[in-house]
Amino acid sequence: MKEGAVEAIVTGLKEAGINFISMLPDSDFTDTQKAVMADKDFKCVPVSNESIGFGVCAGAWLGGRKPALLITTDGIMASAFPLTTLNMQKNIPVLMVIPYRGRLGDGIWFMGPMGATTEPILKDLQVAYTVISKVEEITAAIKNAQLSAEAWLRPTAVLLTGEIIFEEA
Amino acid sequence: MKKPECIKLLDKKLDQNVLVVTPTGKTYMYWEATGREAQISQLNLGLCTPAGLGLALALPHRKVVVLDGDGNLLFNLASLADVAVQNPGNLIDIVFDNECYQSCDSFPSVTSKGVDLEILAKGCGIKNAVTVRELKQFENALDQALAGNELFFIIAKVEPGEDLVTLPRQEGRENKYRFVRHIEKTENIRVINPYARRRKKDFIPSN
Repeated sequence: MKEGAVEAIVTGLKEAGINFISMLPDSDFTDTQKAVMADKDFKCVPVSNESIGFGVCAGAWLGGRKPALLITTDGIMASAFPLTTLNMQKNIPVLMVIPYRGRLGDGIWFMGPMGATTEPILKDLQVAYTVISKVEEITAAIKNAQLSAEAWLRPTAVLLTGEIIFEEA
Repeated sequence: MKKPECIKLLDKKLDQNVLVVTPTGKTYMYWEATGREAQISQLNLGLCTPAGLGLALALPHRKVVVLDGDGNLLFNLASLADVAVQNPGNLIDIVFDNECYQSCDSFPSVTSKGVDLEILAKGCGIKNAVTVRELKQFENALDQALAGNELFFIIAKVEPGEDLVTLPRQEGRENKYRFVRHIEKTENIRVINPYARRRKKDFIPSN
């Protein structure tokens, strides 16, 4: 992660009122996930696959919490089912913060398909999203995404590009 | 043991404030017929137990009862491990195990082939995991779970086959709103915030 990015994410989550976070460990998000796990303002629930995380976050929202998922682009693929049957069918909101892999500049061979599929899948699943490439825009993007998730009762996502997630970019 | 008689017993035993989570299908329809407000229903394959976990963690002072099915749980079996690790003392996870996919002409599920949900749950670390086959055993397990403040996982072996029921009139979104309004009323909180950004000077402040 670029310098200041983890702090900007944590600040955004707090200022957005997020108090419940589910996640699957991810190498792009290790520092961020460690930071939220260590922060008493968040109830953190690591899960064994992202689709469980969507179920857990839906339950938390129904119980009055403000949930977020810190998950990968792969996690979106694994969660098409809950995004359809929980979030889309029942209009249940959740905020996602996602390291956006597979864009130009990504040097790992198996990440290519993530770049090709992530945005079309988010559109198909009716997830409103924004793509952020500058550290200084992260906090406001997270706050705005949560605000609209609450008002629209829809899932929203903030995708963080390689300019943020790769230290050497 | 038949599922409808278990449901009838649950309706007798559970306080109206207990939050009940149900899957799609007949389990939901039996429970819907009780007319209770505090139920969130029609959580599809693999999502019933995770949603119950999230609810239990969000409201640790409220009892949460999940009425899951074998096929439903098997779809996302790893959720059992996540429930075990979180170990919410206010969660009672009941699995009605009829060893088949009832709505698919009773196509057998793997629990009919020897897969033991109690052993799996205990292997995950849920110490209060119990399999019951008779209504009296079900009642005893339920009484024990309701009396304490520990996570319980009850596998209720029920006969395949379902009773005829009246089709519910509400769909999933209406059920969600009813449940959320119950939470808002009983917890004195706001869950739904349809005007998240508006000009403050034009409105009376609200929580």
